[in-house]
Amino acid sequence: MSTARSHPNTAPAGPDPGPVIVNLPVLRRGMRVFLFYSCAVLLTGVVSLMFADLLWRTGWSTSRTLLLVLFIILFLLVSIGCMHGIFGFLLRVFGDRARITAFADYQRQPIADTSTAIIVPIYNEDVPRVYEGIRATYESLRATSQLERFDFFVLSDSTDPDKWIEEERRWLELVRDLGALGRIHYRRRLNNEGKKSGNVRDFLNAWGRRYRYFICFDADSLMQGGTIVRLVQMMEANPTVGLIQTVPALVNAESLFGRIQQFANRLYAPVFIAGLNYWTLSTGNYWGHNAIIRTEPFMQFCDLPHLPGRKPFGGQILSHDFVEAALMLKENWRVWFAYDLEGSYEEGPQGLIESAQRDRRWCQGNLQHALVLFARGLRNGSRIHLTLGIFGYLSSPLWLAFMLTFCWIRWSKVMSDLSDITVQSYWLGGLNPTAHAFLIFSICMAALFLPKILAIVELALDKERRRAFGGLLKVTASAVVETLFSTLHAPLQMLWHTEFVITILLGMGVNWGAQNRGADGTTWRYALRCHRWHMLIALVWGTLVVRLDPGVFWWFSPVLAGMLLAVPLSVLTNRSTLGRRAGDLGLFVTPEETHPPEEIALLRERLWKLQAEGALNPRPANSGIADAVLDPYLNAIHVSLLREKRLNPVYAEQMNQLNRPPAEMQTLAEKLLAQGPAALPASDKMRLLADPPTMSWLHRQVWMRPNQTLAVWWQMAIRRYAR
Amino acid sequence: MNPTLGWTELPGKLAGRPLEEWNAAYAKVESYFNALRIRNKVLLGQLVALVIERALRRAPANPQRAASELAAEEMDHVVTEWFAEVLHEPPTNRDQMLSTRGRLALLLADMPGKWQDQFLRPGPWPDEFVRAMRDAYLRAGPDFQLSQMAPRPLHLGPITTLSSIRKVRYSKMIGIWILFAALLIALFVLTHR
Repeated sequence: MSTARSHPNTAPAGPDPGPVIVNLPVLRRGMRVFLFYSCAVLLTGVVSLMFADLLWRTGWSTSRTLLLVLFIILFLLVSIGCMHGIFGFLLRVFGDRARITAFADYQRQPIADTSTAIIVPIYNEDVPRVYEGIRATYESLRATSQLERFDFFVLSDSTDPDKWIEEERRWLELVRDLGALGRIHYRRRLNNEGKKSGNVRDFLNAWGRRYRYFICFDADSLMQGGTIVRLVQMMEANPTVGLIQTVPALVNAESLFGRIQQFANRLYAPVFIAGLNYWTLSTGNYWGHNAIIRTEPFMQFCDLPHLPGRKPFGGQILSHDFVEAALMLKENWRVWFAYDLEGSYEEGPQGLIESAQRDRRWCQGNLQHALVLFARGLRNGSRIHLTLGIFGYLSSPLWLAFMLTFCWIRWSKVMSDLSDITVQSYWLGGLNPTAHAFLIFSICMAALFLPKILAIVELALDKERRRAFGGLLKVTASAVVETLFSTLHAPLQMLWHTEFVITILLGMGVNWGAQNRGADGTTWRYALRCHRWHMLIALVWGTLVVRLDPGVFWWFSPVLAGMLLAVPLSVLTNRSTLGRRAGDLGLFVTPEETHPPEEIALLRERLWKLQAEGALNPRPANSGIADAVLDPYLNAIHVSLLREKRLNPVYAEQMNQLNRPPAEMQTLAEKLLAQGPAALPASDKMRLLADPPTMSWLHRQVWMRPNQTLAVWWQMAIRRYAR
Repeated sequence: MNPTLGWTELPGKLAGRPLEEWNAAYAKVESYFNALRIRNKVLLGQLVALVIERALRRAPANPQRAASELAAEEMDHVVTEWFAEVLHEPPTNRDQMLSTRGRLALLLADMPGKWQDQFLRPGPWPDEFVRAMRDAYLRAGPDFQLSQMAPRPLHLGPITTLSSIRKVRYSKMIGIWILFAALLIALFVLTHR
């Protein structure tokens, strides 16, 4: 497999013969899809017949029909996953020419006349992390000597006044540090209509036509400069490609949970994604970040329509990325996974609860795709992506229904007091029913775990990767522990996802409350609040199953254990001390930890430095408005950026709508000075912050008025500037 | 000291105001220059003294106004007038843009780092400093190339039918349900004869 580090960062010097397009034999995409899904369906068919045979042996019933239907759906999903693992393994071992990185000699492709925007849409994010990620990417890009082809845009949608001002402050610090004024831009929208996709649309409407390509980052994204340059080269060499999605590696995890997820991502994802690329080829997907997009077709075809009907399905499309890829494909632009291109990174959640919170957001978006699924003109590949996305969440309630139906069947048998009179199996005649059931169970387990085993085998065949992961023995031990952990985690996910699906279908929200984190992760109290229902369900369910049939209880024990142990599992795996201890033992080690790329090392070093300086400590409430009013420089930056917005007629109109009449604004400003920011709701603070004349006026007034005419809060704030 | 300023006309008073009042005025002006990141103590002392001296001159003519108010006003005048000279822009009472632009220019020209000694100093100033100040301009982004993305109509297929159900009249819906129930009853009757 090619890696970013093994390639030079720029095109080699010398006469440029132009790109060499590799003419592959006909790829027969349809044949690949047919073969791939035939294997999955065949496996499902065989195992489903065995399962039907088992059910038939004890006498058919309606509940058994339901159980069989659920089994078929769920096993099909498992076998699709299994096929991704098998096909991916074979491709990685024997080689794969059908990948975007192999189509053209793209590294010789000049990019001198290209322009690319790297956009970072943010919404009330961890501001230092966002800017340090940009710094690391910027410096890496500068090292490629291609920096002048790229502009960075921080596109803020933040609604928190303190975050807004902190974003401006750190933006200026960054551009001054890097000498990047005019290359790293900051703009904040006045309203966050359309959320992230609306934010991107707003950027494209203002500046999109200046750039041939844009690369979308998430707040926690990081990319190597060389990787970014290669993406542009790939786009230049493949003019029919509209979007190339990289496969970001999870990095920078510190908690045990984060490190387990990171390890699993780095070990298993290459095999799975190679398998995914086998059947998707040019009908790949978009995951919303760390992807390069051809601006013109995106602007022309990928603006999202509003869906008919009311929430949760109607209205704005929440998970925009899948749909944008589908719309791009619908217009015959190609979408590829650059799955073997390294140097693309992101960060993952550090705890079970944070992971579930993220899933909640994704769940609603993915379920909403059900409305788009049958849209006319979509490519079948897109329909498969959308379906798999929907079932990513829908499978949880189906698993729960499967287990409950099984319990129901056992319960009705016990209650009916009938004895088990089994008949001979149709085609597994030699097996008694218990052995028959165990065989099916073993096949299910094999289908679930085979991709993991294949990923380890594939690693064992690659000396360099094996070393980067810390050796085969430690990888195997880590994979075993990871499997045990995911066995306990899966039932929790099942309950959470079921809750999400039900609440979304009923049009309700899930109340999480504020994230309650101690110095080292989730607190016991918060975990108990989040998991109390999981534990209660485990207790009730476990008791019923034990009373029903102690033999069945042991089959259910891993599922019940995960739910029952939810609180300690959640708290302990969120601890960075345990994460570090696991690292000391050589567990869950990833290549980015053993050989950190420069960008990641720089990012971590900078964040440590900021931490040591206390710059990451939470700032006091209303520090943003204090800075924006009092600090002569921040006030000037803030007002200048606001005035800049007036150059855009759309913003000018929005600002006029947003601002209250001058007299009302004056009253608000006077109230702010006389009573301090606590007297104003956040919306009023945002209105004041969005009005340039008022912000200039406030700065002057707060410094010119006698102290005793100002609120005590302001007097204290001014005192910060005294020596 | 210049006796015409009337600084010491009464014990414990300066320009007709208690010394504590001037102390507070001094602290406020000093705080503002601190906020402008004037780190050099000698320069800082000179700048504060310059402002306080101007306030002291105005004080006898404005007996009803507090010393800190006069000092802050003088500080604003001194700074804005200096911005007007350096940036070659006449001060305007219309808005505060000159002050805003001046402060931004100070930051972008790196006055706190490179040019502390030039701040509020009468001209001529070094060319590099003047150029840096006059060229300083903040942009949220490059020039706009405005366009308007618009979603293309997307026919949702069978979903369109489902989503249009809410448009069906209630009477019609009830009718459909009655028909459905009748069909079930008919099936039941037919299969139980």
